[in-house]
Amino acid sequence: MKSLRRMLRDRALLTGLVIVTLLVLAAVFASPLSTFPEHVTSFDPSQRLKPPGERFWLGTDRMGADIYSRLLFGARLTILVAVVATTFAVVIGVPIGLVAGYYRNWFSDLLMRVSDVFLAVPQIVLAIAIAQTLGPAIQNVILALSVTYWPFWARLVYAETRSLRNEVFIEAAIAMGASPLRVMVLHVVPSIASSIIVRTTIGMGATILAAASLGFLGLGAPPPAPEWGRMIAESREFLPDAWWYATAPGVAILLVVMGFNLLGDGLRDVLDPRIRRGGQRGG
Amino acid sequence: MLNKFGPAVGRRAMMAGGAALGVSAGLPDAWAAGRTRFVTANNNPYDILDPHQVFDIGRIAIRLNMYDALVRWVDNPPKLDMWLAEKVDIAPDGKVYTFTLKPGVKFHDGSALTSEDVVYSMERILGMKKGAYGLFSDVVKPGTTKALDARTVQFNLAKPFAVFMAVLSELWVVNSKVVKQHEKNGDWGAEWLTRNEAGSGGYRLRRFDPAVGFQAERFQDHFAGWKPGAVDDADFRVAMETATRVLGVIKGEFNTTDGFLPAEQVARMRESGKVNFVEAESIRTFYFIINNAKAPLNDVNMRRALCCMFDYDGFINNILGGTVVRNTGIIPNPMWGAPKDLKGYTYDLDKAKWYLSQVKEKLRPLQIGAMSGYPQSEQGAQMLQAGAAKIGFDIKVVTEPYTTISPKLDDPDRAHDLVPLWRSAYFADPHNWTGYIYNSRNFKSGNSSFYKNERVDELTDKALLLTDQEQRRPLYEEASRILSEDAAGLFVYNTKYYGPFTKNVKSVRFCPIGDAQDLRWIAMES
Repeated sequence: MKSLRRMLRDRALLTGLVIVTLLVLAAVFASPLSTFPEHVTSFDPSQRLKPPGERFWLGTDRMGADIYSRLLFGARLTILVAVVATTFAVVIGVPIGLVAGYYRNWFSDLLMRVSDVFLAVPQIVLAIAIAQTLGPAIQNVILALSVTYWPFWARLVYAETRSLRNEVFIEAAIAMGASPLRVMVLHVVPSIASSIIVRTTIGMGATILAAASLGFLGLGAPPPAPEWGRMIAESREFLPDAWWYATAPGVAILLVVMGFNLLGDGLRDVLDPRIRRGGQRGG
Repeated sequence: MLNKFGPAVGRRAMMAGGAALGVSAGLPDAWAAGRTRFVTANNNPYDILDPHQVFDIGRIAIRLNMYDALVRWVDNPPKLDMWLAEKVDIAPDGKVYTFTLKPGVKFHDGSALTSEDVVYSMERILGMKKGAYGLFSDVVKPGTTKALDARTVQFNLAKPFAVFMAVLSELWVVNSKVVKQHEKNGDWGAEWLTRNEAGSGGYRLRRFDPAVGFQAERFQDHFAGWKPGAVDDADFRVAMETATRVLGVIKGEFNTTDGFLPAEQVARMRESGKVNFVEAESIRTFYFIINNAKAPLNDVNMRRALCCMFDYDGFINNILGGTVVRNTGIIPNPMWGAPKDLKGYTYDLDKAKWYLSQVKEKLRPLQIGAMSGYPQSEQGAQMLQAGAAKIGFDIKVVTEPYTTISPKLDDPDRAHDLVPLWRSAYFADPHNWTGYIYNSRNFKSGNSSFYKNERVDELTDKALLLTDQEQRRPLYEEASRILSEDAAGLFVYNTKYYGPFTKNVKSVRFCPIGDAQDLRWIAMES
């Protein structure tokens, strides 16, 4: 209850929450909300590059499709990529971090060195290489991002687990004969859950940005999928005259990434008692 | 010689820019005070300078400006001029071509260009099997080209080849002495010539950086001489973004860029009042390569159905703003050999459905490989995809760089089902659009459609044995009709060239072969 009240008082967190909620609503209700739902797969060449107006709220693109409608349906792709890729990254990264952090042997060293290797290569470069090798498709984008993002979670969980490993309550659990699995799942994970949640929320924003970058480079979902990154890539040819073409998906990406970042930051403030903002405010 | 690290400034250039040099060292714009400088912004990287390794339009400025050939294409409609050659003697059997070279032709290093250099250049193309190799491989065998004396060179063809003169424009002559010095393990000096230049052309390389482009200075001793107003310094720069190139021309940073820009950008440049346009109907057809070897595309009705799914009018008049002209066959309309009354196909979904119902092979979703970075290729792909979707036929679009698509075109199993692209003019002869790309002899070296029709083979083979244009014309017209009837490809339009030039460019001589990148024909105000 206290946490909830704290959350509602945190303006940054609230803004993030609103943006992310709007994104989810846009994705869920894309069909009823859009003015030209058929423009996801087709278009009207005679209405090419029309500026924003009554009929086309955010203008039309180079094929004569309504940008507003395509943005709404693009939200589905965005959420799909962000959720699936981040989930995979968590599912791979967290167990690796836990095992490596709990044990102190050559195997945990090996796990961490492998994740170091992944961290040493810039994420986006590695993702481009993977997506380029596998060919442009939405599942390959997800795969590329999952493979490149898991080490962040592994590092985080490893560090947290290492520091918990010497805590009295863990040692007590071990002394009482709890199996390593039990200790990890029932004692360690709940204690570091807040860190994982915060990292995951911020990671969603980073994933969306990376997915848009891949789309921009032509490595995302192939046409006619309304991929935001590719919409910006297409628009370059018509800048600066058709300003709406790049602006609409650009602002959408900006807002969504900012939304997830604010939400993640806010959650950290609320969930992590050590750095609670304004100390006294939350009581 | 020259390399990318050492800008070898010529003696004459030093004198011309001498006064300015002291104060403005390091400022490439100012060192050549009083000299005219022409900057071209190209949408394709100049990664390889070797004239025998590449054979495309994107890098043609290298070949046109730094090298010479026996003959040269000029003007529009293109005509073939004698260039390094003074005269040619063609034996009655059409198999022996004896050229006399013009006297006093010099390479950039000052040495004389002789028939030995021509022979070496031909052997180099045949030996490296790259670039324009496919043009000669069938008729010129290694070791058959002879230097009779310093100014006489003889080609002994394996069989008559009507377009031999026309394709000789791609036999760029390199300085054999210099290239031989840089040969390594029988590589024909390929490694060295990729980064350096050994030609006799109008411009001499000063600086080269694959990421930036190349700079060249006028070769004063060029055999063809120079007219007043000729450009002194040439700067070919890579600028991949359309908006960058357009803005650069409007601001005067670039003097020209490609002449095939979107209608909106052409309009924008016109409105700026700072750009003149050279307009011309070019000979460059936009079409979809159809992989005729792969089921169900081996069924003529499947291919015809596709031809009826494409909204030609919407694409030409709306998407491209009417800047191009419908071309129902593969041979560009202005070219002789193009049948004037060829109906071709129209956008008709009912007909498409009917054709689909006639397909005997099992239908499957098709895949278009569109060229990324070429918006028209992507838009054409989307146009066909949308037409097909309206009648419930599934087409997928993948976008890949041309460098990824191109190698696959040699293998029917790996090639995409359809690839939307242009067939540019490399030589102005109908063979460029028919025999070269549809004769079944040219599988893997030009015929990327894996199309085979015995009559087309016969017609295009026969046309190469005749020298009289009026005798050849009906053969190409018939071939073009069959290609349309068979829907060998999906033929869309012929290009118009809208070349933007800054106002200080006084005159331009446009030729569709090279798209006006031949700087010799450009005059500037000083």
